[in-house]
Amino acid sequence: MNKVIVSDSPHIRGVRTTKGIMLDVCIALLPACIMGCVYFGWKALLVLALSCISCVASEMVYQLCLKKKFKTILAEFDFTSLVTGMLLGMCLHSNVPWYVPIIAGVFAIVVVKMLFGGTGKNIVNPAITGRVFAFISFQAVMISGWAMPTIKAIKPLAGNITSGATPLTQMLGNGVENIGISNLDLFLGTGVMGCIGETCKLALLAGGIYLVVRKVIDWKWPVIYILTTGVMTVLINSIAIKSFAINTFLPSILSGGLFLGAIFMATDYVTSPYTNKGRYVYYPILGVVTALLRHFTKIEVVSFAILLMNLFVPLINTYIRPRIFGEPTLSEKIKAKRQAKQAAKAAKVEGGEAK
Amino acid sequence: MKAKKGKLFRRGIHIADKKQYSKMSYIQDAPVPEILSISLAQHIGKPADPIVAVGDLVKQGQLIGQASGFVSANVYSSVSGKVIAIEKRPNPRGQTSDYIVIQNDFEYDALSLEPLTDREPKTIIERIKEAGIVGMGGAGFPTFIKLSPQTPVDTLVINGAECEPYLTCDYRLMIEHTSEVVQGIRLLAKALSVTNIIIGIEANKPDCIELFEQYDDIQVAVLKKAYPMGSEKHLIYCCTGREVPVGKLPADAGCVVQNIATAFAVYEAVEKNKPLYERVLTVSGKCIGNPSNLRVKFGTSFEFLFDYCKLDTTDLTMLICGGPMMGSTLLSSDYYTRKTDSGLLALDSTEVDFKDPSPCIGCGRCASVCPMKLLPMAIDFYTQAGDYEGAKKYGGVLNCIECGSCAYVCPARRSLVQSIGLAKSQLRKK
Repeated sequence: MNKVIVSDSPHIRGVRTTKGIMLDVCIALLPACIMGCVYFGWKALLVLALSCISCVASEMVYQLCLKKKFKTILAEFDFTSLVTGMLLGMCLHSNVPWYVPIIAGVFAIVVVKMLFGGTGKNIVNPAITGRVFAFISFQAVMISGWAMPTIKAIKPLAGNITSGATPLTQMLGNGVENIGISNLDLFLGTGVMGCIGETCKLALLAGGIYLVVRKVIDWKWPVIYILTTGVMTVLINSIAIKSFAINTFLPSILSGGLFLGAIFMATDYVTSPYTNKGRYVYYPILGVVTALLRHFTKIEVVSFAILLMNLFVPLINTYIRPRIFGEPTLSEKIKAKRQAKQAAKAAKVEGGEAK
Repeated sequence: MKAKKGKLFRRGIHIADKKQYSKMSYIQDAPVPEILSISLAQHIGKPADPIVAVGDLVKQGQLIGQASGFVSANVYSSVSGKVIAIEKRPNPRGQTSDYIVIQNDFEYDALSLEPLTDREPKTIIERIKEAGIVGMGGAGFPTFIKLSPQTPVDTLVINGAECEPYLTCDYRLMIEHTSEVVQGIRLLAKALSVTNIIIGIEANKPDCIELFEQYDDIQVAVLKKAYPMGSEKHLIYCCTGREVPVGKLPADAGCVVQNIATAFAVYEAVEKNKPLYERVLTVSGKCIGNPSNLRVKFGTSFEFLFDYCKLDTTDLTMLICGGPMMGSTLLSSDYYTRKTDSGLLALDSTEVDFKDPSPCIGCGRCASVCPMKLLPMAIDFYTQAGDYEGAKKYGGVLNCIECGSCAYVCPARRSLVQSIGLAKSQLRKK
């Protein structure tokens, strides 16, 4: 008889693998990357390429330093570092100097991911932390020098182009009336300044739908995050101007990096809660935190908000867990407690009478 | 009685049932080899004590292993012949136990139990105990203990789900021996003194549902095809809507669950006075040239059965005893049929997808399919760190039914069931 495999049950497995899922995420990111390159030209392509190469290369070099064989590194390559590289490039703007994506990429992979133990062990999202690191370290180049879409044909459909500030900073600083651009333009990214991957919401949405169809993410979570951010912004503005500010709803969710963050970064498996119950707690809080931080800091804070909330994920994972099949439900528990209390009371009264 | 729709349990997984290989083949008697090795530990609990010696002549249906202790079961000889050895051998799970090796004389000189005079609950239970009947779905818990529950019981649930892929032995029994199975079910109900009988059958067996609908005292519950529908707790939930409380037995929810094969064995023991020494077993998989449902005598070697069903070894990758989700892989085919074996599978490389585990990415798929609503990734995490109390507290490991749904969907191919087994055994040691 020839050799047979002996393993633990189950002996048949599903078709999904980590590699396949991460490849799906890369495919879903492509439309937004392509639109970024169309809008912002070859410089955008350069930034994306640099950050991808930096991330993938630093992961491989790190593993080589751990004396892993190059063959096994290639065999174990699971596209997670490529996803990090693409996301990192997408949340930089196209005019950043060449060293920014490289340094941010090395930081994201080596410090945030590999030092914590590699794939699945990082406590915060590497791409977001890389961006925040670059934002703090190279503040001058990160918040100024936004590129205008280079191709002349892509002009805003309505309104004027204000140079020097993104629509979101414009809105946060000077109020929604001075945003100077229509919601449709914000949705399509035409004539909108911003980071490479975040301006074309249509492309991001297409990628998100691909992920939902491939069952990589659940549609509920990005939707919950985006909606709570919008509703919270409306609420805050209504209180500030003492009248119902519904006109801030669409601009607030369509500008800035909210779509990119909600679809691709907040839904990152490693740094989001692993039960649905936990996710129902996580995403609304994330939305509220984003809206509040945006209002008080007057800058784009989606990445900061996600980074902050990432740190609470272990807490949510530990204390919020589903009801085990056969465990009493919450109402049953309360009922049992009340009955026990009454029984104790009755016993006490009886005891007193006996005395 | 007209079939009712069963309730749905949340979660679980959907697997291709792959029953087409052996679904249409009639139950046939397997040939009997020259030498049979009958295990004395074919059930949960204490192994039976051998009551024959080397050199003794035994008859078919003669008691050769006496139940020792409360949780134990009698073992009968499945052929007539001479005992040539009593020796220790490993079973597919790796535990060693005593085997009685019998040289078959091909006479089939049969001995049967004494006919019963009445059909009182006590007599039926006594007969079931005497015939050595155990739960034949895989666990092997002695049936007579299940039939004398500590708490009042009002419902008998019969497990006709057969949710494991490939296996068709219960299906064939339901089709070919409907009236016998029904009589067995009625005897079980009588032993429990209940009148409410529900049989749960998955929707992929419409012919079985039709057959059981003709009986007025049996309620058919049509279950959605999902794995693990055959799990006791989920079957009870889907058939009656009751949840078995955490850490309690089905009897605490007023139910007793019995398997189709067990019901058939009860019928044979009570009406035909035949002790349990053979069962129906499915031999299937892509490497089997002739997939079939065989009536096999206990002690027949797996190798003999594989040969009979034309095992093709060119692309053989895995041999499994039981179903592909909960069965155990075989190191070789040098093992012997027992009461609990419902299937023998030989899978090729297209059916088995073996990859090394990679780190957990926290996708939460395992938790989203766990039918017990546990957190397998947390159990794995704490177990790998050696913190078994943590696995119990945060993952709920002791409630696991080890159905393997979590490991089936895991994209990182973590050995979750192995971690769970380790944590459970370590916690039990304390």
